[in-house]
Amino acid sequence: MTGGGAIPEKRMAGRDVIIETISRLILPFILLFGFYVMIGTEGTGGGFQGGTILAAGFILYITVFGAKRGREMIPESVNTFFESFGLYLYNGSGLLCIIFSMGAVQFLNYPGIWPVTDLVGVAGSRAWIIAFMVEVGIGLTVMAAFISQYFDLAWKDEEEEMVVRKE
Amino acid sequence: MKSLSSFGIVIVIILIGLSAYVIEDLPAFGDENSPANKYIRIFSMQSDAMGSMLESGVIPIELKNKIYEFGFNEENHYPTLEEGGYEIEWNEENGGWDVLIEEGEIYYNEPIKYYCIRVLGEELAVYRYNWPVRVIEWTEEETATPNAVTSGLADYRGFDTMGEETVILTGAIAVTMLLRRRGRL
Repeated sequence: MTGGGAIPEKRMAGRDVIIETISRLILPFILLFGFYVMIGTEGTGGGFQGGTILAAGFILYITVFGAKRGREMIPESVNTFFESFGLYLYNGSGLLCIIFSMGAVQFLNYPGIWPVTDLVGVAGSRAWIIAFMVEVGIGLTVMAAFISQYFDLAWKDEEEEMVVRKE
Repeated sequence: MKSLSSFGIVIVIILIGLSAYVIEDLPAFGDENSPANKYIRIFSMQSDAMGSMLESGVIPIELKNKIYEFGFNEENHYPTLEEGGYEIEWNEENGGWDVLIEEGEIYYNEPIKYYCIRVLGEELAVYRYNWPVRVIEWTEEETATPNAVTSGLADYRGFDTMGEETVILTGAIAVTMLLRRRGRL
């Protein structure tokens, strides 16, 4: 804060009350907006965009509080689980159509899931499966992919800095 | 080395010319009736009293055979134009007849706009409706989703999006393996 030369070391210690408070305040709203973009079939957006916004929220948390606390919040096992679970949700919705209709409809023909179709009608069931299975699946995969890439880069940087410090 | 670079320059000039041609050929932005958004002209032929036949709701045999010749036949899994299998409607907006055909779907087996036959002077021009027309006109009714982009992405072209998501997962795994040298995934 005092001189230009001291900035890199200050950044390493890296704790600022203003940034931490603001980001802690704003994070729930970012996640809520991400879910709105991801699930809302009536507005703009879709799974890819919503997943990116969710990832941006988590990346903000990691940037502000450090990779170590970020790792505690989103453990690697959970992240890897989400990464493949998203694709599984998408493909599983297609498989459910075949299973529920006993092979009468094709893969990814959403009205074949008759419990939903009985509730909300043929067109409604397509809307529901798109909103709550397909788009959520896409969003989870995109979010987990972005977060895992960011973590890989962040960890690498920290390891290199540790090596430099020891020397 | 010099011949290689001159070869590269020739290739670059050809590519620039190609892209200029493609850009010239593009329809104007926001044009509702451009081929990509509306329909593609298949062929046109002389109309010898075919208009009156179309008005009575029957497609003339010559027109039918010409459509089959262009590959829209049973061999290529297109619906056949048999009697009773289609309906003909006058479309004021296009100034022509719409041919509506029922496809063999389990749900929503309703007639879909397939061909458009317009009168151009003394000729009849046959057009084929494009996929976006169905998405734009039917998405609200078929999928209860007002956003045509979402329903087109996740429902009408579900297989395509499934592949895209697989690409993202594969890319993420590849980047993880490249960046992380610790030998675990």
